[in-house]
Amino acid sequence: MSSAEDDEFAAFVAARGTSLLRVAYLTSGNEGEAEDLLQTALERAYRNWDRVRYDNPEPYVRRIIVNTSIDRARRRAILRIIPMHTPPEPSPHETDVDLRHVLMDTLRALPPRQRAVIVLRYWEDLSEAQTAEILGCSAGTVKSQASKALAKLRTALGGRSSEGMIRNVHA
Amino acid sequence: MPEDDIRQIMADETARLYAPPDLVNRVIRSTRRRKTNRIRLATLATAVAVAGVAAPAYLILSPGSASLQGSGVGAPGDVSATSQPDTTDQAAQEPPAIVVPADDDPAPEERDLGDLGDGKAFGHVRVGYLPDGLQWSHWSLDFGDKYTTSWNYDGDKNGFYCVQIYVHEGPEAVQEVDERQRAYREEGKGKEVTIGDRTGYLVTQWVGEDGMKGTPTLILNMGEKRRAEIMFSPVYAKKFTGAKAIDAELKKIAEGLTADN
Repeated sequence: MSSAEDDEFAAFVAARGTSLLRVAYLTSGNEGEAEDLLQTALERAYRNWDRVRYDNPEPYVRRIIVNTSIDRARRRAILRIIPMHTPPEPSPHETDVDLRHVLMDTLRALPPRQRAVIVLRYWEDLSEAQTAEILGCSAGTVKSQASKALAKLRTALGGRSSEGMIRNVHA
Repeated sequence: MPEDDIRQIMADETARLYAPPDLVNRVIRSTRRRKTNRIRLATLATAVAVAGVAAPAYLILSPGSASLQGSGVGAPGDVSATSQPDTTDQAAQEPPAIVVPADDDPAPEERDLGDLGDGKAFGHVRVGYLPDGLQWSHWSLDFGDKYTTSWNYDGDKNGFYCVQIYVHEGPEAVQEVDERQRAYREEGKGKEVTIGDRTGYLVTQWVGEDGMKGTPTLILNMGEKRRAEIMFSPVYAKKFTGAKAIDAELKKIAEGLTADN
């Protein structure tokens, strides 16, 4: 790769690295894993930079992050390295920040593809069609997976008002 | 719960995260190191081949192989189709069904199934049907309770596979496949099929990259102690007109796949 292309790649990482790291974190639920996912995806992009640079490289990298994260999570579940867990029952005295943690735990406990759908739809603000394209499934599947995931997140919160939670967290 | 709340929570959760400042350098260093190692490995393989000693120049690992457990199948950085010197682009296009372990991963014990002739009989199974134009790749691996071979256009063992069949035998190997299938089912991925009086599961496995959807696979139940995974490489799958045509061809191969015990 030429020096100019290296500079171009570096500029891309500088501009989008943090955003992509956050996607990796939300899809994997783990900071260390997120950094590894991001580096892995960027290595792939760097190797193919002569092709990728002419399109928008961000969707390319994002797709690798999301699909790799799904695959790793699935494999871990199969290998029972980390057991799937359900969010703990909230205690009567817990704070709103605890509730946020409950919600994040629930997000982490979602099946990997449902979690990816939530991240892509509500964090990346992608359309159902764009999300489907990344995940290699139909828009209908995205819709149904999002619906199931949202139902689980609602259940985790029980009857509590998430609006109040958000307001208090930001207070 | 409004979706906006989810957005806000995710924003709060990630606000403290920033890409490390040395990320670009790490990516470039790691990429160059891998490339160097691939070239080194290919040089070694060539030297061994010249000496007339059979040495696998690449590895195809089972989904449950030890070297995959750390990074998981589909980790793009671990994917390489062959150990030929200039395989960087090919590696990017090929699926994680073919995996070279990361630099510091221990190599699993490597054995092959020997000279399989036309490649249609291997281990305890026999392939009755293959799509036109394919021939045995002269490549195989034998892990004892798992073994595999593949077919491609030119019979070159360093070439890309078109069709690969993985056979899992014994309780542990079968259990691994069954659990993987169960996970797909729970996620609503894939579908049950019947192959004559046998059952199967059609699914696209692993990571779809570079615009491809992953590895079309038919998991065939060949009795209590045996499962077979019939896989098309994503590159080969593109030659078919669509998912239905791929499924039909996978089913035909499954129909012709028989066991000798």
